[in-house]
Amino acid sequence: MAMVKEPLLFARLPLNARRVLFGLVLFAICFLFAFPVLWLILTSLRPESGVYYVHRGTEFTLGNFVEVLKDDRVVEAFANSALIATLATVFSLLVTVSSGYMLSRFQGPAARTWFGTIYVFRCVPYISWVLPLYFVAQSWGLYDTYMGLLLPHIAVHICFFSWLMKGFFDGIDPSMEYAALIDGCTRWGAFIRVALPSAIPAIAALGVLCWLFTWNEFLFALILTGNRVPVITVVMAQFVTEMGMRWNLMAATAVMALLPAFLLALFGQKYVIRGLRL
Amino acid sequence: MMTSTTKFMASIVLSKLNKHYGSLHHAVKDVDLTIADKEFVALVGPSGCGKSTTLRMIAGLEDISSGEIRIGDRVVNNLPPRDRDVAMVFQNYALYQHMSVYDNLAFGLRNKKVPESEIKAAIDRAAEMLGLHELLKRRPRQLSGGQQQRVALGRCIVRNPLVFLFDEPLSNLDAKLRAQMRIEIKRLHSQMPTTSVFVTHDQVEAMTLGDRVVIMRDGEVQQAGTPLSVYGHPVNRFVAGFIGAPAMNFLDVTIRKEGDTRVAQSAAVKLAINEASARALEAWQGRPVIMGLRPEHLALGSDGPVSRSFPAKVEVVEQLGSEILLETRVGDARVTVARVPPETQVAAGDQVRLSVQPGRLHFFDPKTETAIVA
Repeated sequence: MAMVKEPLLFARLPLNARRVLFGLVLFAICFLFAFPVLWLILTSLRPESGVYYVHRGTEFTLGNFVEVLKDDRVVEAFANSALIATLATVFSLLVTVSSGYMLSRFQGPAARTWFGTIYVFRCVPYISWVLPLYFVAQSWGLYDTYMGLLLPHIAVHICFFSWLMKGFFDGIDPSMEYAALIDGCTRWGAFIRVALPSAIPAIAALGVLCWLFTWNEFLFALILTGNRVPVITVVMAQFVTEMGMRWNLMAATAVMALLPAFLLALFGQKYVIRGLRL
Repeated sequence: MMTSTTKFMASIVLSKLNKHYGSLHHAVKDVDLTIADKEFVALVGPSGCGKSTTLRMIAGLEDISSGEIRIGDRVVNNLPPRDRDVAMVFQNYALYQHMSVYDNLAFGLRNKKVPESEIKAAIDRAAEMLGLHELLKRRPRQLSGGQQQRVALGRCIVRNPLVFLFDEPLSNLDAKLRAQMRIEIKRLHSQMPTTSVFVTHDQVEAMTLGDRVVIMRDGEVQQAGTPLSVYGHPVNRFVAGFIGAPAMNFLDVTIRKEGDTRVAQSAAVKLAINEASARALEAWQGRPVIMGLRPEHLALGSDGPVSRSFPAKVEVVEQLGSEILLETRVGDARVTVARVPPETQVAAGDQVRLSVQPGRLHFFDPKTETAIVA
């Protein structure tokens, strides 16, 4: 058997020292990622006078949260964001799952055309979609409506996530579906009764990703909505006003906005990791 | 339902069957094959020979480019798989992972809206035949490969179809289990005789299981016949080399006349040819042909006339316990394998004589490789 060489850099250090070093590096990296979030949480708990001295003051309050929640616009934005994220997830999954399945299982002109279409759209930089979408939304009367935000999101999901779904289905042995065809299923039947149940972890992962994507999305929301459909990412940004920046309120809103995403990521982690591996 | 109803005749007739993938790949070429009712036919050949494609066309999983497939009295060309009344066992078992074994077995019958009580009875019988009773509540993931394949067999049996199709079902099993399952499949076929097509690349499986063996290469049927006839009378060099293990030895020889007898001669070999073969080789007088010798027809020593043996140098001795395989060099670096009794005293480097019965010689046309004397 070939000898596996230890990496030279730390090879001379004793085992315990290596472990400590490894732990420190790990901690440093985690801290790097967590620091902004910790700072945000800290800020959200400070009174307005203390936001610039987060590292010094000892005065803490939950008043920011109370104040933010008294604002109807913020509450409405939360509701809107949740609703749009959920609807976008449900509708895009309906398309994404079957489109991913088609990309994985079918060859032929229809599949190739579809493949080409979403490939092209995927290659378009995200930001260059916004302006055309704005004009379309304006001319179709969809500007500042649920639909006006929902449809672009669904479209983006389909282009970006059909690929992930294709990857999932590529990993599922098609002979199970062949067996189902022979056992009396139609092509649709084989898809729905055999392929879909095997893909449930993947669909769950995709659901989590879709939801978070829409929940976090800022650019479309900023351009395609006005006052009638406030969403949380935009409302948050509006704490920056001519009068000054309400950092404490913005932080409180952000912490609350973080929460569902955090929970979803926490419980969906198992699936999402499986999903992203593909 | 499984044993009581007698299905009508379920012969399979393939006529001028073709499969093209695009314009470049002609996977199955003009296959004509008739499989009788209740017959067990083994399709065998190297990978890429079109055997699996042929099977999948019978199942309806592949479109037919041209030609016709009949199952029983129906042309099934345009019927979807579910309407063909066939059952299939796959190489990787293809069990429904999200269902219990019981539900796997019941799936096909439930699709046919068979009453649950009848389904249970059918599953009971199949489970009895295959020893599946303890496994019925488990998920496929929790089963070993052999158990999974048994369930896959069960799934076919409960449906009591017109035709069983097997797509390399034993390839994923280890050698010992493969031998067991082979016997199991053979036993099943005698218990419930059903027209069966069995695809394999393993000629041993094909020979042991098939009432008839169909050898394919490059999308074409090379030969179809009983195991004994394809072994004893291969129609060409490919079949001769494919069937039998170790494979047949081939030597380049020239046909000459020596007095009254004809001989096959090369630099190192001179073997007398029997009369029947000699007649067939009349036209090959003085011309080169390929001579085929099966390892099991070669014996050590030269009992009888010298014209029935030739000298060889032993290079490798493989002691298998039940027999010895000798790899020998005959003249110009050609390796020839002989199967000899295990107690034979022989060592690498020995000069020996290998003898063969004249009736055991095969001769092939060196250009077309078809058999002159099979």
